[in-house]
Amino acid sequence: MANKLKMNGAEATDVDLKVFMNLMVVLIPMLIVSAEFASVAVIDIKLPELRGSNIVDQQKEKSDENRDEKLLLTAIITDSVVTLGAKGGFMPSLFYQEYHRYISKDGNLDTLLEYTPGKMPTHPHTGRELTVHERFEIYLYALDENRNVLKSLYTKFGEMLTDADGVPVRNVNAGDTVFALTNPRRRIIVTNPGEFDSKPLSAYDELKNRLMKIKERYRDAVDKDDIIIAAENEVIYDKIVQIMDAARSAEFPNISISKLRG
Amino acid sequence: MGRFRRKKHNASMNITSLMDVLTIMLLFLLKNYSADGSILTNADNLVLPNSESKKKPTEVNLQIAVTQDMILLDNQPVVPTEDARNIPQEEADPIIIKLEERLKVCMAQEHEMVRLGALNAVQGKVIVQVDKNIDFDVLFKIMNTCGKSGYNNMNFAVMERDDG
Repeated sequence: MANKLKMNGAEATDVDLKVFMNLMVVLIPMLIVSAEFASVAVIDIKLPELRGSNIVDQQKEKSDENRDEKLLLTAIITDSVVTLGAKGGFMPSLFYQEYHRYISKDGNLDTLLEYTPGKMPTHPHTGRELTVHERFEIYLYALDENRNVLKSLYTKFGEMLTDADGVPVRNVNAGDTVFALTNPRRRIIVTNPGEFDSKPLSAYDELKNRLMKIKERYRDAVDKDDIIIAAENEVIYDKIVQIMDAARSAEFPNISISKLRG
Repeated sequence: MGRFRRKKHNASMNITSLMDVLTIMLLFLLKNYSADGSILTNADNLVLPNSESKKKPTEVNLQIAVTQDMILLDNQPVVPTEDARNIPQEEADPIIIKLEERLKVCMAQEHEMVRLGALNAVQGKVIVQVDKNIDFDVLFKIMNTCGKSGYNNMNFAVMERDDG
């Protein structure tokens, strides 16, 4: 109480903030300089054809013993097709057409162009040849036998919808049960069919879908976490990274890379 | 000269709002602050691909950067990427000779450090930063060269995707 009585008589004075201001002026530029606005991550890769190392030779011998129990999952990537192989057999190939999204400064270009191997597309307005650095993202749209782009429904979070058998869904009615392609799959009971968008079926999503099916079927295989990605010479690195993402999200974290020989 | 003399009056500025802004900025920047610095090589034409990987790069002593023009080892140009492209694709065991020489020197250093007790074991670890438009052919030749030189533990650097 004594304090309060004293305060009543005193005039309100500003706190001297100069010291604190000095601190701020020094700290903020320092933190801005050291701030990381884009964070880097890494992907672990095993070399499949390891040479000159004793540990590897031992591993190889071991793997030869139980070869018949092994899954030996392989994803083969070429310019227009992805094929999955397991247990010495191959699943039906997944054909796709590459579409590249280009973003360029002149003419505020942001467009999706069909890709033909070995040829850079031209700017739709100026006719200039676009450079690889203007390529922003690569989309792979799955094709059917007649090379028409397949469609599928996607949630508003960009997850593909499948039915109970893992087949992509094209249209839904209220009351249907569908599954969103997350890991594990999320069950959705459709109340409003209008909330899903029909989009071209992405080959990455379909690949993830198929890999998840394989994972579910061969949960007790010896090499249940391993996948080999075999690519052709012309495949762009970006595509391999996206396919590695699909493999990792389908619980195949031990990724090896190998070369597809013609 | 009297006009330069300042009139004496008590002008005080209200800096409370400025302080608010600065405090919020300070908190935001402290939240973003990470003690382990960036390992990224800043090259003009080195754009890393986006990925969903959340794995953070660990401490590593060697990094290779592959741009459209040059292959760099620890930020020093080693060999033009064109040279790697020129190795015939049919080659079963393609080696980029200049890169291999440099890698072997690094490997020898690592062995020396183990001998002196500075390292526990030879890690053979390397971070590879590859431009996203590089074709697999070049990538494979680099991987093969690394494997041959004893660098079996490879990490590909990618950008973390910030959207969902």
